[in-house]
Amino acid sequence: MPTIAGPSSSPHEHIVAARSENTGGREVNTPRKRKLRSDSAAEVTSTAIVNESLKWKSPRRCIVSSPRTLTKEVEEDSKGELESPVISAVEKRFDCLDVKSKWNPRDDDQMRAVKEALHVSKAPSTVVCREDEQKRVLEFVKGCMEQKKAGSLYICGCPGTGKSLSMEKVRQQAEDWAKQEGLPCLETVSVNCTSLTKTTDIFSKILAENETGKKVNGSSSPLQQLQVLFSQKQQSSSTKMMLIIADEMDYLITRDRGVLHELFMLTTLPFSRCILIGVANAIDLADRFLPKLKSLNCKCKPLVVTFRAYSMEQILRILQERLVELPYVAFQSKALELCARKVSAASGDMRKALSVCRSALEILETEVKVSTDQESQSPITENQVVKIDHMVAALSKTFKSPVVDTIQSLPQHQQIIVCSAAKAFRGSKKDRSIAELNKLYTEICKSSMITPAGITEFTNMCTVLNDQGILKLSKARDDKLKRVSLRVDEADITFALKVYTIQPCTLVSK
Amino acid sequence: MGKENPAEKTLNLIRGRLCDPTFVFRPLSGSSDSNYSKLKFIVSTSITEGCNNSILLLGPRGSGKAAVLDLVVGDLMEEYPDSVTVIRLNGLLHSEDICAFKEIARQLCMEHHLLFSKMASFDENSQFIIAMLRECGLAHKTIIFVLDEFDMFAQGKQRLLYSLLDAMQSVTSQAVVVGISSRLDADQLLEKRVRSRFSHRKILFLPPSREEIDSLLEHLLSLPADSSFPSGYVSQFNEKIKNITSDSRFKDMLKTFLNANSTVNSLLKFIFRAVSSMNLESGLLSLENFKTALSSMQRQPKLEAVRADCSILELYLLVCMRRLEVKEQSSYNFISVMKEYKTIHDSFQTSDYYAQNVCLRAFEHLREREVICYAENRGQSQAGEYRPMKLLISASELHQGMRSHACCPAILLKLLDH
Repeated sequence: MPTIAGPSSSPHEHIVAARSENTGGREVNTPRKRKLRSDSAAEVTSTAIVNESLKWKSPRRCIVSSPRTLTKEVEEDSKGELESPVISAVEKRFDCLDVKSKWNPRDDDQMRAVKEALHVSKAPSTVVCREDEQKRVLEFVKGCMEQKKAGSLYICGCPGTGKSLSMEKVRQQAEDWAKQEGLPCLETVSVNCTSLTKTTDIFSKILAENETGKKVNGSSSPLQQLQVLFSQKQQSSSTKMMLIIADEMDYLITRDRGVLHELFMLTTLPFSRCILIGVANAIDLADRFLPKLKSLNCKCKPLVVTFRAYSMEQILRILQERLVELPYVAFQSKALELCARKVSAASGDMRKALSVCRSALEILETEVKVSTDQESQSPITENQVVKIDHMVAALSKTFKSPVVDTIQSLPQHQQIIVCSAAKAFRGSKKDRSIAELNKLYTEICKSSMITPAGITEFTNMCTVLNDQGILKLSKARDDKLKRVSLRVDEADITFALKVYTIQPCTLVSK
Repeated sequence: MGKENPAEKTLNLIRGRLCDPTFVFRPLSGSSDSNYSKLKFIVSTSITEGCNNSILLLGPRGSGKAAVLDLVVGDLMEEYPDSVTVIRLNGLLHSEDICAFKEIARQLCMEHHLLFSKMASFDENSQFIIAMLRECGLAHKTIIFVLDEFDMFAQGKQRLLYSLLDAMQSVTSQAVVVGISSRLDADQLLEKRVRSRFSHRKILFLPPSREEIDSLLEHLLSLPADSSFPSGYVSQFNEKIKNITSDSRFKDMLKTFLNANSTVNSLLKFIFRAVSSMNLESGLLSLENFKTALSSMQRQPKLEAVRADCSILELYLLVCMRRLEVKEQSSYNFISVMKEYKTIHDSFQTSDYYAQNVCLRAFEHLREREVICYAENRGQSQAGEYRPMKLLISASELHQGMRSHACCPAILLKLLDH
């Protein structure tokens, strides 16, 4: 595959050289003080640095990599570099934090390395904070494999809690263990149910994995074939266990709940050899949608493993784990704590935490760029890392809704309409007609000495506000018959408009 | 075609500028804080560093979201030729998943000169797309997915959004998803799985501030110092523009206009109308051009119906109806209006008193112009004179219309205010 040469480099080549480093050739390095670092302190024992700009590695080198595969190759690479004939010890453990060098945010490569470490798509080499759940699942799978029995498992949890990631690790570990123990190797079918056109396609996928020599029988459906297959005794030589991982399983729910039910029932057939792991968000999926399974004996009921939302400590630990591999400190620890605290309070979603950190990085980057433009070659006197104010700005950007800003920047007449709507819907009435709103609007205009707009203009402005999601206009044949209701909280409106003196008076009175 | 006179050339030049979104939004690329730079920064980091991103552009209609995005994409395609592919989807056309996947596959085929088969099934299309994403990722080509009317994609099962945003999470693909929507709460419409995968970057397109509007006006209306124009003309024209824009009446006019509509698009329409009414003999703009533009944009059709079209008798009838409304009579019909008419005539001894059938004709005329109408559509069996009626024009509009009427008797205005 032709690759376009670009200035990218592997995230695991740690670069500390001075800025004019990208002139080719291998630099055999000496612990080089950065020209721009005015302090002397012990930090600059440079860590591994080979800047091999000739031998660049594309971040895309792992063709089959995805957040769901172990980055084994990555580990090997970094080990390789450890032994490179460059001087100075590579301190990668976090007990030697103080030996880490200072980070230069103006260096593109360093910035990119940090961003990559925090990107959602990069799966960390070790999955922390999910050891218990992984162990449980692995024990279950091992048990099934040893006894050559089928079983089913249901994994649930909010989005962003590491379910798919953990499942991939479990799969890898189970395959390794099977090889180790000398058991017949494990076949896996990993299906994301959103990619199925029809829900019954999942059976054809399972059947496809299963069929080694048998011809595909066109007369009966895949489900029936599977049922037949699992009800007969197999030739003992080919008793390979099959692991089925069904991601986003709630897409399989149909009105008669047939598909889901049949899928779990496959594991109860006498000669079935599949281990089914279903992943979804709803906690009670198994209970709500598989009532018949409960009525059978308890062995058929799927085991439920819940992945709880991450707590603050867990988020913090995961972030630190990702950043520990870098040889420099890019984030102030208080900033990371703030991020973890806020995200865990909101949803406990790891993706959001990573997104906020990257956003903070970008804020720092623009700040640094602006100051670079202003002063060409100033010595960096202070440590430029991501500080609390960057994190606060990033958090507000992520969590703030744009409603307040938009209301503040609306043209005056539209603001008056929003006010009159807030006033109109203060009581119990949930919607009004356009004419009534117009009346309120003209009253407010008159009391503030502003000429009200005509009814056509008023209706147009209401449509504009409807487009933006502030008001809601019902569909009606006639313009006059449309009903208007408010979509935004009244508190937001009052907050947004409190800088203007006119409107709040009218809101407060009456 | 003979030599164009400079006024016509100016007109063509300015009108061409107003219709070209690239020209209008170009000055934004200078400042580092504008939406253009923010968007460009995010997309270009994706291109250079190979990390995936998703952004949402929010703002009212006509605030330039698609225009700025096109500008950014155009600039990036110049900077990094052959590294950028753009796939455009529209929520109004492609909100169905099957249709959307087909369209993505078709556009990818077109970009990379492959053959597209219309018979391909949904599965084949989605596998093709995944394979293409991987290939482009290996080849360092970034794919930019532009989803117009993003909130329409958030209906139904959101499979397309889930697949696209899920692809953003994998290391093999190098893509950016840009959603454009006018709904502020577009990301609240997403399912929680999809929302978790969306990196919550939003760029808000707010209406321009006063300074931005002033600089925009200058940018659009100043003529370049070009040799194709006669020598003194350019400086004369630009001088006139400066005078107009610094005139306080113009500022007031602009303020009234912006109080109703503050998007860039409506401002462009306003300037377009003003420029189109430029006096071609003098070749210079004047304040009156802007005044006519303003009044043509803020039309009140019912008011004009009253002002231009109504006879005195019709005005009488309208005033009577209004008085009945004021007297809290919830429904009135032709007969009650006639009664009121008679009362007025008796008390004020007006000279205009007409017979009933003439009044009926006047009524019909008003109904045709939709200044009044029947209050309900049922009761068709009743004769026209007994059916309840209502006014379709508000009191203030009636008042204004009568005041600007050519020959409205003073007594009527008094009766209205009474």
